[in-house]
Amino acid sequence: MESTVFSKTSRLLRNPNMSIGVLIATLLTVIVFLGGAIIPHDPFHVDMGNRLQGSSSVHWLGTDQLGRDVFSRLVYGAKLTIGLGMFAIFMAICIGVPIGLVSGYIGGRVDAFFMRIIDGILAFPDFILAIAIAGMLGPSLSNIVIAIVLVRWIVYARVVRGLVLAEKEKDYVLVSKVSHSSSFKTIRVHLLPQVMPDIIAMAAIDVGKVILLISAFSYIGLGAQPPIPEWGAMLNDGRGYFQVVPSLMIYPGLAIMLTVLCCNLLGDGLKSYFDIRKGRDYV
Amino acid sequence: MGRVLSIIGSRIIQLVIMVLVLSFITFLLMKLTPGDPIRAILKVDDMVSTTADEERLKKEYGFDQPIFVQYGRWIWGVVQFDLGESIIAKRPVLDMIMSRLPATIALTIGGMVVLFLLSVPLGIVGAVYEGRWPDYLSRWIAMLGASIPSFWLGLLLIYVFSLKLNLLPVMGKGTMAHFILPSITLGVAMAPIYIRLLRERLISTLQSSYIEAAKARGLRKERILLFHALRGSLIPLVTMFGLSIGSLLGGITVIEILFSWPGMGELIVNSVMQRDYPVIQGYILIVGFLVVVSNLLVDLMYLMINPQIKQGKEVG
Amino acid sequence: MSELLISIQDLQIENRLGDKSLLKKVNVEVKKGEIVGLIGESGSGKSLTAKAIMGLLPSNMSLSGQLYYKNANLLTVTSEEHRKLLGNEIGMIFQDYRGSFTPFIKIGKQMVETIRTHYTVSKKEAQNISLQVLDKMGLDSERVYRSYSFQLSGGQVQRVAIAMALALKPAMLICDEITTALDVMSGEKVLDYIDQVRNETGCAVLMITHDLAQAYKRTDRIYVMNQGEIVEEGLPEQIRCHHKHPYTKKLCSCLLSLPEDMSVQRERVNVL
Repeated sequence: MESTVFSKTSRLLRNPNMSIGVLIATLLTVIVFLGGAIIPHDPFHVDMGNRLQGSSSVHWLGTDQLGRDVFSRLVYGAKLTIGLGMFAIFMAICIGVPIGLVSGYIGGRVDAFFMRIIDGILAFPDFILAIAIAGMLGPSLSNIVIAIVLVRWIVYARVVRGLVLAEKEKDYVLVSKVSHSSSFKTIRVHLLPQVMPDIIAMAAIDVGKVILLISAFSYIGLGAQPPIPEWGAMLNDGRGYFQVVPSLMIYPGLAIMLTVLCCNLLGDGLKSYFDIRKGRDYV
Repeated sequence: MGRVLSIIGSRIIQLVIMVLVLSFITFLLMKLTPGDPIRAILKVDDMVSTTADEERLKKEYGFDQPIFVQYGRWIWGVVQFDLGESIIAKRPVLDMIMSRLPATIALTIGGMVVLFLLSVPLGIVGAVYEGRWPDYLSRWIAMLGASIPSFWLGLLLIYVFSLKLNLLPVMGKGTMAHFILPSITLGVAMAPIYIRLLRERLISTLQSSYIEAAKARGLRKERILLFHALRGSLIPLVTMFGLSIGSLLGGITVIEILFSWPGMGELIVNSVMQRDYPVIQGYILIVGFLVVVSNLLVDLMYLMINPQIKQGKEVG
Repeated sequence: MSELLISIQDLQIENRLGDKSLLKKVNVEVKKGEIVGLIGESGSGKSLTAKAIMGLLPSNMSLSGQLYYKNANLLTVTSEEHRKLLGNEIGMIFQDYRGSFTPFIKIGKQMVETIRTHYTVSKKEAQNISLQVLDKMGLDSERVYRSYSFQLSGGQVQRVAIAMALALKPAMLICDEITTALDVMSGEKVLDYIDQVRNETGCAVLMITHDLAQAYKRTDRIYVMNQGEIVEEGLPEQIRCHHKHPYTKKLCSCLLSLPEDMSVQRERVNVL
């Protein structure tokens, strides 16, 4: 058993992009979980005597316009940015996957009706829908997350439904149905494990997308409000000081990019891994 | 002809469903945040607000009525091309949005040029050198492009080209020079999907039998690539573009804010900040309309461009 | 002794990993003006041999042995020199007529394009040549010239491909199962036009087919191929009546009706 787990892992890591992704992910995990322990300063501590400093042994990445330590804010913000991204996708999956499973499994007119509405909404850009929802609820980080969940679950419902429709006609599901298993059991035992790999790969890429979205919203002022050190909000905060201290612009952006890159690498790697395992490889 | 009509019909149904559902959701959400629009108006008017003022305004804007009545009234207006009036600017919403449309369209075109210049060469390189280093390079560029926040890229461009090299203006709209950085930012933000799509399509096209036949006729490699393979692979790209007009309108919003570009995106973000509900409602409607119309155009273009589909119509 | 056009010696094809041999020591020769059959069941390596001559093998296959066209070593020539031979010196017609021409470019344009790749002629001249050869293939030249390939029937497309060969006058024409996707009548017609081209240009033909009757009737010499190997070579008469290899015997016995060989026919009838 141990050896199969090991060979699976090594097969995953043979993809060089995947191993880079895993490396970044490990780093980020350490930062998120040890965040409080490794930050040298209070991320909210204002020190006007030490504003807009370059990097030094005291302030590794310098200080911002209010004299707050940039490194500490970045590390503290990691928990927030990454945590919220994962939370939003987790919620979207929790809502979307069951609905997709049931809708696809039951099929028929109910399914057709809901899919028609979902298609209508899906054609609408999620960014603008999130803007609208945030606009109605008022700009704040939690409202942006709510808006994203409200929009993203639809995508999962849709994908899962498609997968279920394809799996449903296969023999093992028919056998399970005929052998008087309950619908719930059929879905849980047979359909859910089939759709999970696709969902996981998709979720990895989506977390990156959501992080981009949240930071973009924070940047334009509709997301995290000061003094929250969300990375996009940090960029917005320091907007007026880039010319003097470019590092205020460089580090938060770099942090976002690295995190999203990590998500994309992991998502792509998992996808090709699952595709090969399912024999979907075209090579 | 019947086919064209049925395509138009199904798109109109899509538009109606989309607008009804979305506008109802936003109405509902607005109702869930009590009192706020009135407070927003009072804040703008800068008066000492009294309960009497609030009551008067509630009546004036119809906020005292049940949500279904308000909703019905809004829909009735929409049918007559009246999207209501902005609470803040006191101008018709439709006029406000339409006056912003040209700037957004101009930026879209600029972005498309950059998109084309980036994705076609990189897609071709990826496909022609499949599995070799130029392919990996092109894929990594696409991967980085998909990971970089567009507003950060814009900030970097401003920093390098405007502040350090002093080559281009920082913000605003006016000359061609104002046009360059926003277009590049938009183009780079959109390019990754197109690079991947073109690469994949080109790889599968290059394996098709008609390319083999063209090689067997002794045609030059470049000619086969540009006239035989690329043309067949560009159609999905155009389709993709038409179908992603919506996400383009979303992505462009951030870039308009960043560069103070006076387009629709800037308008909507400002309206959200000021909680100018009629503008937000109107904006959703207009975006929905643009999305559906571009989908419709893709459908119709497919009927015209692709002779094989035309053939299918004649036979079927 | 006429001039040798194609000379293949000990040609081997393996996939890049080297774990699977696709073609084993194949020897084939085609002389000037000759019509040679290459028969065998599908997957026996016939098309692979043709693609090797045309340089159309995917890059994940490796070749060894010798492959000459006249004096040019096709395994070592530059791809540009090889390209100049294709169409002009060695023509090829494919089984899948839907893929013979690019679907979204009009037939005429593709013919002009091909002619002008190999000859320095004006567009007008190339157009005249195209219309002329289409006429000779019994096609409505004006209409076909303006058509897309999918607007034509399979037989018509194959005749356009033959017309293309007629325009370029290659010394050798490879026909890869060109009648397989067609109905019997159109197939016969296409083969008659191939004969016409041979009469006019004197080109050699390598006819790849799994249809034995066709090979017996139309070829000067036959190679029998099985699982990547040439198992037998000889005149049609020899192959049919005096075959030595067990595979050839099996192949011949599968043939439903050969009027000359009544015993076989009777046997089949009894079985039925």
